[in-house]
Amino acid sequence: MSDKETSSSTPSKAKKLSAVPAPKAVEPTKVMKKAIEKTAKKTTKKTTKRVSKAKAEKPKPTPPPREDRVVNVISTPTLSASVPTAPKKIKPQYASFRSSRKSLVNPRRVRGGVKLKLKAGETPQSWVTQRLLRVAENGSPNDIYKDGIEYARLGQTKRLTIEDELCEGIIQGRSDKPYTTKISLDHFGAESQEKIITAMADQVRYAAKLLAGELPSNIEDVFAPLGLKLFPADPSDIHATCSCPDWTTEQPWCKHTVCLMSLLAEKLGESPMTIFGLRGMPGQELIDGLRQKRAVGVQGPGPTPVLHQHVPGVSDVSSPPLEDSIGSFWDVGPELEELDTPIAPPAVNCVLLRRLGPSPFMDSNFPLIGLMATCYQLIGEAAMNAEESSDSDD
Amino acid sequence: MIDMPVQEADLSAIVIHANWTHDALHLWCEFDVASGIDSVQLEDSDAPVHSFALRPQRIKGEDSSILLRLPSIDGKPVPSSSMSRIMGRDTDEDSSAVLMEFRVPSLVVPTIEIGPILESLVEYEDHSQEDDGYTLGPGITYFVAASRLSSHLMAGHRVVPMILQDAQGELTAAWYPWLSDTMTVGRVNKLVRSMPGVARGVVDEHAHDAWSMTTDFLANLTDARCRQTMILEDMFDTVEDADPDADAQVAWLHGLLDNTEEVPSVVGQRADIARRVRKWISELEDRGESSAWRFGLRIAEPIGDGLPAHIEKPDDTVLWSLSFFIQSIDDEEIILRASDIWLISRERIVISGLTLENPQELLMAELGRASRYYKKLEDALDSAEPIEVLIDSQEAYRFLREIKPILEEQGFAVQSPPWWESPTGRLGARLRIESDSVESLLDESGDPDAAGPQLGLNTLIGYHWEIAIGDTTLTLHEFEQLAQQNAPLVRVGGKWVEIRPEDVENAIKFIGENPGGEMELGDAMQLALASDSAQTGLPVTGLEATGWVASLLGGEGGASIELPKLDTPETFHGTLRPYQARGMSWMVFMERFGFGACLADDMGLGKTIQLLALLMYERLQAKGERVDPTLLIVPMSVIGNWVKEAEKFTPSLKVLVHHGVDRSLDESFAEKINKSDLILTTYALAHRDCELINTIKWGRMVLDEAQFIKNPAAKQSQAVRGIKVPRRIALTGTPVENRLSELWSIMDFLNPGYLGSAGGFRKRFSLPIERHRDQNKMGKLRSMVSPFILRRVKTDPTVVSDLPEKIESKEWCALTPEQAKLYENCVQRMLTDVDESEGIHRRGLVLAALIKLKQICNHPAQMLKEADPQFGKTIDPMRSGKCVRLLEQVSELISEGDQALIFTQFRQMGHILSTMLRHELGKDILFLHGGTPQGKRQKMIDEFQEATGKSPILILSLKAGGVGLNLTAATHVFHFDRWWNPAVENQATDRAYRIGQTRTVQVHKYIVRGTLEERIDEMIESKTELAENIIGHGERWLTDLGTEKLRELLTLRADTIADDM
Repeated sequence: MSDKETSSSTPSKAKKLSAVPAPKAVEPTKVMKKAIEKTAKKTTKKTTKRVSKAKAEKPKPTPPPREDRVVNVISTPTLSASVPTAPKKIKPQYASFRSSRKSLVNPRRVRGGVKLKLKAGETPQSWVTQRLLRVAENGSPNDIYKDGIEYARLGQTKRLTIEDELCEGIIQGRSDKPYTTKISLDHFGAESQEKIITAMADQVRYAAKLLAGELPSNIEDVFAPLGLKLFPADPSDIHATCSCPDWTTEQPWCKHTVCLMSLLAEKLGESPMTIFGLRGMPGQELIDGLRQKRAVGVQGPGPTPVLHQHVPGVSDVSSPPLEDSIGSFWDVGPELEELDTPIAPPAVNCVLLRRLGPSPFMDSNFPLIGLMATCYQLIGEAAMNAEESSDSDD
Repeated sequence: MIDMPVQEADLSAIVIHANWTHDALHLWCEFDVASGIDSVQLEDSDAPVHSFALRPQRIKGEDSSILLRLPSIDGKPVPSSSMSRIMGRDTDEDSSAVLMEFRVPSLVVPTIEIGPILESLVEYEDHSQEDDGYTLGPGITYFVAASRLSSHLMAGHRVVPMILQDAQGELTAAWYPWLSDTMTVGRVNKLVRSMPGVARGVVDEHAHDAWSMTTDFLANLTDARCRQTMILEDMFDTVEDADPDADAQVAWLHGLLDNTEEVPSVVGQRADIARRVRKWISELEDRGESSAWRFGLRIAEPIGDGLPAHIEKPDDTVLWSLSFFIQSIDDEEIILRASDIWLISRERIVISGLTLENPQELLMAELGRASRYYKKLEDALDSAEPIEVLIDSQEAYRFLREIKPILEEQGFAVQSPPWWESPTGRLGARLRIESDSVESLLDESGDPDAAGPQLGLNTLIGYHWEIAIGDTTLTLHEFEQLAQQNAPLVRVGGKWVEIRPEDVENAIKFIGENPGGEMELGDAMQLALASDSAQTGLPVTGLEATGWVASLLGGEGGASIELPKLDTPETFHGTLRPYQARGMSWMVFMERFGFGACLADDMGLGKTIQLLALLMYERLQAKGERVDPTLLIVPMSVIGNWVKEAEKFTPSLKVLVHHGVDRSLDESFAEKINKSDLILTTYALAHRDCELINTIKWGRMVLDEAQFIKNPAAKQSQAVRGIKVPRRIALTGTPVENRLSELWSIMDFLNPGYLGSAGGFRKRFSLPIERHRDQNKMGKLRSMVSPFILRRVKTDPTVVSDLPEKIESKEWCALTPEQAKLYENCVQRMLTDVDESEGIHRRGLVLAALIKLKQICNHPAQMLKEADPQFGKTIDPMRSGKCVRLLEQVSELISEGDQALIFTQFRQMGHILSTMLRHELGKDILFLHGGTPQGKRQKMIDEFQEATGKSPILILSLKAGGVGLNLTAATHVFHFDRWWNPAVENQATDRAYRIGQTRTVQVHKYIVRGTLEERIDEMIESKTELAENIIGHGERWLTDLGTEKLRELLTLRADTIADDM
């Protein structure tokens, strides 16, 4: 029953998850974000200046100067010093986004294609998007990167799908037929998955956020000690293929893979939980795993009852993410109106004791059951009396 | 009772919330940001501090704080929906909120105090006045329900002694609520699925999971309560001398009976203790191997010859059979008897598409499991192919009484004979009342004979008790026979019945003490309809009455309308609809029987008319004799309506309005009253002038909108109750049976003493019904009060056929003194100004003044431009007669589950009304005006048409509400101000009254008495040439009137001002 429900509800839940907006800033992120913005501003100024200068000096469209990178590298230490929790080696290189260089790309135009929302000159809001764009930029020759981004912005992607652990795009280039481009990541093995779930279950904060369908911004802190990365940090972490003639195993970054990568980066920024799917552990599985872990009491030093009660309908179903309940955040469910809780003595006294039978400690002489029966009587009476005396309106 | 939860008296707007985290219930309050209070400062917070939260201050507890994820916009928490309503805040943008963590100052209350504190919060909210009270947030509502569930489980012995183990292996013990039995599963589902987001918002190890948080709360609360009981009863003394090291049971009890949970145990034993207790408790969840099939037992009476014909104890050799079967869980019709199963050698049977694997094995395994709970079944296990066991009558009784419930709870099916546990299968006492026939109370012409005997609840009536089993009444001889047999199951008149030994004893005692005779009717009804067997010793199985008492009690569930039906009095102008004639007849007879009666028909069914008809009827009956006057107490807001309706339907009735500063307060009062038939006054004046009122010999007192006296302690209620009158009638349109405080007050007004004291009533009915939805108590109460309440709803089949598709009525409102002053000033200024001007300029002046006058009639705030919708400032409805009436009517229709459209021609007024209604009603109010974008417009319409009860009111300020709008979810249409153009109004009304509308639509046109609104209405009604001119031309024609004409038209009539809203 529960199995059936889980499996049938997975697709819809996965869908829901992907609709979850980017994680909102909490303390560390806020600081980090500010720092990034600061840096970005600095970068913007410098780059625009530089680029416009370059433009003025060199009217002919040539690849932007390599100094761009240098500018960014210079800014890096400031950032990592101020934000210890931020993923390491942050190199915000959005210089190319702001390049006013006229696009050279001239593909066959596509109507209604998937477009990159990020405008030229904008800093991506999500750290996930920032990071993935940087990886793509690091991996590809500068021109290719710019052209790929331009493709994405023009909406050359006829179709974009992220499912079954694979991101696939149908991208229209200059030739008649569009190319098929694919991006995938290394999967976490069963052993790694187990480790990840345990590690996250140990951290109340992570568990809480993940169960709510949110990705904690310092999630990589959990993966690092396990020798794992959740998001790719290096071009070699990404498997990209394309059916275009430019693509080779040695240089997998063509315009189309960059284009697809940028769209994926944006999508993951919007719904970061999708990353777990690409890693071979769908979000729902992760959440179920987490819940299970907490239920068996692996996490938390507190005492847990030796028996967890089974209440069909609620104990086997997890609450929807808190994020999803924002529209009814202040509403009590309608069923509460129907909840009746009459205070009445039982039809059969100590019915549970009778069902339980003799004491679990048969070898003992102490009249446990008899004593318990007295306790039940007292508890029942106390509840009845409390009701009578709780009337404050005499 | 606790005091106000917050100290600051000026902090009127407070919403209290509750969260459960880390074994503690935290209470916190939200306040109105506009109130200028500083939020609580928290040192070293790990998250932004909630900017408008504080701790409840008069509740005992410890200061603390919690980390909550709450909806936020721009880094600020969004006010809760309750707070938004209080502030009159627009919540449109709230859907774009995102969750963010906030640290919130809180107060931790001791776990053992949770129940009393939460209950007193609920109590105080109910009793608090609107302006100095507080509102309970959804979290409080939730934990109140959870706390009540805990009490319910404890009272029903549904707790288990649990062992807990921590990471180090240490053992503790606790009393746990047992939740996984079928009857509890449904309740837990309802509870957990209702958990509001805010209650889940706390950031802790439960990770926002409703089940996890709720069970943690229930476990902690239940343990604290049980443990307290154990300590109070000194239960620990029972194990104090025993050595916990030597006996694991003693160690376990140490953790359950004392105030420490620890289970002192030798390290090596811990795993064993935990394992044994787990296995022991898991028995409760053992519902058999198969999830699709269950094992069942069928107990059947002995059949055949040799059974006694009448009352006789069956021979001990007569045996009952307990036969076995297997039943499908999905389709309980599918049953395989054991005798058949043993004939089938197949390993798999398919019946109606359902597969049963290894039926024989399942049968044996489950029989084995059942024998754990019922040892007699072990005999069957010896047989190779068990089919049944045979038991004698004593054993059959034990099985039915004790074993059946246990087996059922363990997942077995038990089929018992139909007479078992049916009310007809048990011994009980029945009350027989004899009274004269209704006909004997009528005169020759078929009308109630006033000269007949005086009746009432105090009437002594003859009664006697009978011992009965179901429908069979026993003679004394038969009963003695029964008593001698000393057998729990016997046959009476060929039917098996349960005779509990204690019942026989009690019956003998009861009959001895209550031989019969005479008692007051009220007491008899109490006994027969609402007594507990705890009071009488044995169940009272019913009441049998003859004569008028039988007519009074009527049939099932409701006032009797089987009484003779009287015709519409000839002097009544108009014809009563059939149900209205029945309503009038009912009141006539109730008064004849000497009872106070409550006419509680739905709004719009014509309660006013029925009462006016009653007054005409009694005057006709008196044949010219002077009839003592009727005192009618009403809210100020409906005086106008009564006056107008009386003018229309009963012009011969002399109506006096006792109201206003110039009302008679001396001898002339009695004089005037002696010349009148119907005297109207308000609740406030009934209190203020109560001495004067008591000097009059009244024929009857009537309360309109009787829910006004719902607070029995209020001075107005006491004054009203103190007025001496022979007959009383209450009119109300609210479903009074569901509001127990109202119900008691109204019933006690009508038939003093019948429901007992307010305190006693609370204990007996209000608490069990309101807190715990005790259906049993509800049923008893209903049967006690239903003879005195006649309530017809619009959807009643008996009513609906009498109703037209559309009922139009005018609502006559009064001006408040503030409105009157503004109105008069405005008229005076205009009259002076127009005298000095001419032509276009004069017309402009008149038009501007007319608009102002209309605005004043709506609400002073509209004319004074006080409300700025941007700031969501709420406007006091009490300053406008129209608003007061609108609120009354709208709350009433909402309580009936209806929806309404409110039309106004002013957008500004729409804003005022939407914030006002949102604030007063606690509902989302939709407001559609010319500036509403198309997309939003459609969203509103869809929301309204869905009719979820969340947004039952739609205000429209468009001319005619926009063409093409289909708003059939509304059954009420209000024209808050008038277009003075019937065509435009009808077009608006047609939004609700059009294809797809299946119910009667009620149209309410608001008119302020004494103002230009009334004059113009008169003109439209007169259908004169002038009126013809008005139609389609708006206010144009007015501007051409001469100054004198204007003065005549606009000057306020003094008697129409409300001075005590």
